[in-house]
Formats: sequence, C-alpha cells, structure tokens
Amino acid sequence: MRFFKKSTVMLVVFLLAMGTLLAACGDSKDEASSGSKKGKTEIEFWSFWGSGTRKPVIEKIVDDFNKSQDKIHVTYKYLPFGDIWTKELASVAAGNPPDVIINDINSVQQRAQKNQSVNLAKYVKNDPDLKDQFYPQLWNTVLYKNDPYAIPFNTDTRVLFYNKDLFKEAGLDPNKPPTTWDELAADAKKLDKKSGSQYTRLGFLPRYGIGPDVWIDNATGVGEWDYKNGKPVINDPKAVQALQWIKDYEANYGSKVINTFQSQFGSEQADPFISGKLGMEMNAATFYTQIRDFGKNMDFGVAPMPEMTSGNGHTSWGGGFVAEIPKGAKHPDASYEFIKFLTSAKEQAYWASKNFDNVANIQGSKDAAKDLSGKAKEVYQLAVENLDQTLITPQPIEAPDYTSLVNPEIDKVMLGKKSPQAALDDAQKAVEKLAKSNK
Amino acid sequence: MHTEVPKNTKTKRPRTKKTLSLKQKEGLQGYIFISPWIIGFLCITAGPLLFSLYGSFTNYDVTSRMDFIGLSNYIKMVTNDDLFWISLGNTIYYVVISVPLTVFGAVLLAVLLNQGIPGLRIFRTIYYLPTVLSGVGVYLLWMQLLNPTTGLVNTMLSWIGIQGPAWLLDPNWTKPALIFMKFWSLGGGMLLYLASLQGVPKSLYEAAEIDGANAFKRFIHITLPMISPVIFFEFVTGIIGGFQVFQEAYVMTDNGDGGPANSLVFFNLHMWDKAFNVFDMGYAMAMSWVLFIIILILTLINLKLAPRWVHYQGGDQK
Repeated sequence: MRFFKKSTVMLVVFLLAMGTLLAACGDSKDEASSGSKKGKTEIEFWSFWGSGTRKPVIEKIVDDFNKSQDKIHVTYKYLPFGDIWTKELASVAAGNPPDVIINDINSVQQRAQKNQSVNLAKYVKNDPDLKDQFYPQLWNTVLYKNDPYAIPFNTDTRVLFYNKDLFKEAGLDPNKPPTTWDELAADAKKLDKKSGSQYTRLGFLPRYGIGPDVWIDNATGVGEWDYKNGKPVINDPKAVQALQWIKDYEANYGSKVINTFQSQFGSEQADPFISGKLGMEMNAATFYTQIRDFGKNMDFGVAPMPEMTSGNGHTSWGGGFVAEIPKGAKHPDASYEFIKFLTSAKEQAYWASKNFDNVANIQGSKDAAKDLSGKAKEVYQLAVENLDQTLITPQPIEAPDYTSLVNPEIDKVMLGKKSPQAALDDAQKAVEKLAKSNK
Repeated sequence: MHTEVPKNTKTKRPRTKKTLSLKQKEGLQGYIFISPWIIGFLCITAGPLLFSLYGSFTNYDVTSRMDFIGLSNYIKMVTNDDLFWISLGNTIYYVVISVPLTVFGAVLLAVLLNQGIPGLRIFRTIYYLPTVLSGVGVYLLWMQLLNPTTGLVNTMLSWIGIQGPAWLLDPNWTKPALIFMKFWSLGGGMLLYLASLQGVPKSLYEAAEIDGANAFKRFIHITLPMISPVIFFEFVTGIIGGFQVFQEAYVMTDNGDGGPANSLVFFNLHMWDKAFNVFDMGYAMAMSWVLFIIILILTLINLKLAPRWVHYQGGDQK
C-alpha cells in the first residue's frame, strides 16, 4: 500500500512537470512575438546565409537598413538550408511566421497558390517602375495570376570555362572557344590525353557540372515545360536529339572510363578543371572564385554554353532566390520596406561584388561589374550578359514535382536501358497523367 | 470542499484495502508504470494522429484549404500514382531482404562472440561500435566506401579478383548497397542476443550432451528456442523500422531524389516529397495511414504466428 501511495505521488509530480513543460512551450511564443521597442517596428528576417563569406555581407546590409531610418528594426536570423522552409511552413500554419524570408525562386507560385505568402500587388502598385529594375525572366517567376508574391533577389547561370594553357598545348586557338556542340566535341577530342591505355586528361564531360536537363534546355530553348500553355513538352524532337548527343559523346569513351575518371573528382584543388584533368567544364559563373583561390594563376577563358547547331541559341539555365513576406506576418508594410531596400540597386551591387553572385537587379548587376577588375570583371560581365539567354524553370503549378517522373527516365537512357525517344515519350505521358490528376 | 477532504480519505482508505485484490493492485501498478507513455501519447501524439486520419480524407495543404474529399486521396494513390507502387515495391524489397538477413547475421555473430576465446571483449566492442555512430555521418562514410572505383569495398573486392558493381550509381545495386550498409550495424541486435544467450541455463546443454546431441543439434534445439523471444522482438521491430526507411535514401542520393531510375524512392521518401515539396499534405497523410495499416497487419500476423516458434520459459504467457 505504501508503494501505491508513492507511485501516485510520483505520478502527480510527473504530471506537474509535464504541465510546466507545456506551459514553457506556450510562453516562448509570447516572448518571440514582434512588438515595438522604443516606438520602432521590430521585424525578423530569415535566410540560410550563414557561411563565413555570406553572413557578414547580409548582416552588413541589415545593419545599413537599420541605420538608414528610425522606424523599423530588422533582426537577422540564420537557419540551415536543410530545414529553413519546413520551419517557415510550420510557423505560417501556426500563425507566427518571420516577417521576411529568402525562399526558392522556383516555387513562388505554389506558395502563392497555397496562401503561404503575401500578395505584394498593393505595394508594387505604388512603385510602377519597380518591375523594370529586374530581369524579366526573374520577374516572371514571382507572378501568380499577374500579381507579384515576392521580389527576386539573386540568380545564377551556367557558362563554359576553358583552359587556355591546355588549348595552346593542343594546338587550339585560346581565343576561340567552341560555339557549337560539334565544335565542342572536336575541341574536346584534341584536348584528350592518354598515358598508355589510361586517360590522364579529358577534353570535356557533358554530365559534369550540369545535368542532361540543361542540354535539353539548351536544345529546345524552352525546357521541359510550356508555361504559356500549361503543358509538358518533354519529348520535343530536339530534346531527344540532345540526349542522343550526350549518349553518343559518352559512348566514345565508355561508361567505365568515365566513371573511373570521374571518381577522382572533388571540389576546390581536386576540381578536375582546376587540377587540369578536364580541359573544359560547364559550371555556374561563381565557379570563378574557386579558380581564383585554388587555380594557381591558370590561364582560362569563359564563354556562353555552345549551341546545338549554329543559330539555335546559346540558352543556358539558372535558378535563384527571392525575398517574400510569409502569410500572417504582423507588419507587412515594414517587411516590404526592408525587401525594397534588400533588392535595391545599391545593396544588390554590394552583395554581388562581395559574393561574386548574379543578382536580380539589372542596375545592381551592372554596378557590380564596374566594382570588379581584371579576370573577375571579365567573368562577371559575361555572366551578366548571359542572363539574357538564361532559362529559369519554375515548378509548374499543374505538376510541381514533374521532375521526379522525368529524371528517372533520363537515368534509364544514360544507363542504356531505354532509347531517348521511348524514355521521353514515357516521361511525357507520365507527366501529362500527373498534371491531369492535379486538376 | 475543505471540510470534505479529511472525511473522504478516512472512509476511502479502508475500503480500497478491502476491495483491491492482489491482481487488481498489480494491474493498477502496471498502468502507473506505463503512465508516462500513456500520458505522452494522449497529450502529444494522439491529437496529431487523429488529425492526420481526418486530414487524409481532405485536400489539406497546411495553409490554404482543408475540404473533405472522401476517399479521393486513397483512390488516387492506388489508381493514379505510379510512384506510389514503385516506392512500395522498393520498400518491400528492402524489408524482405534486410530484416531476415540482419536477424540471421546478428544471431550468428552473437553465437560466435559467446565462445570462450581470449580477446572476446575487444571483438564485442568492435562489432558493437557501428551501432553507436549516428546516421548522417555513417551514410557519408558509406558513400565514400561504396565509390565504384576508389571506394574501399570495391578495392577489396578487386584483391580477390571480383569486379565490384557501381553500387549507388547502378539502379540494380542501390538497394543491395543500402542493405549491405544496414548489415554492417547489426551490433544492436547482437548485444540483445548475447545477453539472452548468457541467460540460457548450462544445465540444458549438459543434459543434451549426455543424451548425445552434437553441437549443431544443441544449437537448433536449445539455443534457438531459448533466445526465440528476442529474435521475435528483433524481427517485429525490424519490420516496423524497415518499412519506415527514409534517411538513408534522402541523404545518399542527389538532392534526396531517390537515386538512379527511382531505385531508392522508398515509401517515406515519396510521402515526404508529397508533403513538403508539393504541399499535398492530405495525400501524404493518406499515404502514412496506408503504411500504418500495412505495418499493423504484418505485426498482427507476426503475433499470430509467434506461438508456433517463439518459446517462452514458464510457458503460460502464451
């Protein structure tokens, strides 16, 4: 009996402890809620920029904003890339979101449709020339039913890096990078180097740095989805040709040679382009910073992605991030003020030149190029010019996860299990089915 | 209230003493012992659980809608989502091979490590070590080990003249690669079997030996039945855990996309994708209930079959 009493007591203690725990959870919300401190509107800004290079830059921008006026105070909060958006989703559902967040450019429309972000139309209406400050293909991604739900922040673009020293060694003109796929293959062949039966250097690898989807974008000029008509265009004849081209290219070497060769690849010093194992590499323009830091003064050039055939267009591919206001944010006016500051030409130029990053603001991009010099300027200028032919491929509302059906089919082509035509036909059918089931 | 309290306790105390039989008291104590779990379940888990059951019949997307759509999600899953079947197939493949293999390996290892040879403790520690290491670090390590050309696994295979497969790059070998990796950390099960092996009375072996049973027969007729409750436990929890495989595929494939040609799209990975990439939360909830029911049925079958092969000492507990 005494035991029974003891356990009841313990039970009560346990219950009390649980109660305190729950109460503690409830309290933290009140503490975090943004109120006004000394008449200032307090807002919280979330992003995943926490690295040694990016964090100081964004903190400086936040600090500049706080000093530039005395009505709004922004607190910067870093969250890891892995869970920032799931946390945001939970906080939106709970009605206690951050005031401004950096989010993926490719899913702005989904969030708008799902009521996760604030419609900025009423703010943008007062700023009629705001939209002209940004690259049109980026501005297009933030529109849902013609209303903007975010402001583009940064972007990127894939360009061709080529090693001028190796070009000279192979008897190629270092000032004439390949401009078509045929030229690319021919130049690459000349850059190949063998010692015995082993390759010690390859001219180019089509699936290193970019995936088959970028080759498809380059070939078709529109990508895998027709946004205007809201339907997939995956089995476009040019897309089929693009896959066939990659396959034929790789078949010249065989998958074993390529796998063996690729397994030595890493990043920084171990990057194949930097270590001289690859004569040419497709990569985002920011790859320049790795060459600068680890390339030991190698002589290299940059060029737009070669086109399928002369006149087909040098279409490249990019992504990016936007600033938006989560639904339920307490001070949307203040949030918008901060976003405007964040995406203004001056701050964008600062971000761009410090991080060697493509930004969404056109004037900001141009100013950043002016701040740079030498090789950095050369690469950056090309990257900025390249934005005009860079495709952004947002997730279509009709089938946001369509790539999960397309990529496995492309895998099958690369593994030799399906012909490009059959695979892309199947992918087309599967995506059509998905789009239909989402209607 | 105040005045009643002393009165109540006075009258109640003698009454409980009389009415609570030993069995009832034991039962009550049992409930008190599991009360932390029950309270936790009721306060924290039960709400979301019921919510997700309801949500599975809606087009819930967390932020904009929650309309009742009946069985639509379930119908769509079965008739209109190829990835659902692919993911279920991948998951069953993984469970069917991984769970028995791990149980078998762990029992074997435990028996080997139960022999009286010097240095045993060191071996036990070595084999248990992988269990202590935590998730993502282990996966990254294995991605290096399984590298087709420079990885340690294929390098060692090449020493004995075997050309190793491309493991995580070849859709035929991705699941075996994961099962292989899982097999490496069977130390947790091994420890349980070891503990249970040490509890087998020596007298049973002695008696069998006098009757002329050889080592193999002693293992089959004494060791296995005596540790069968632990095998049963490991088997059931292994199946439950196996069906929930997620992290491995999420970490070990590019962007968590489920590996080459969808070969590592497990049930939970597809569910996660639907929930957090597409925000089709209602559909994801429906998927999670399908998984729950699959696991429930398998566990019930297991419990039903248990009396045929699981031997409890004392014999009366079913």
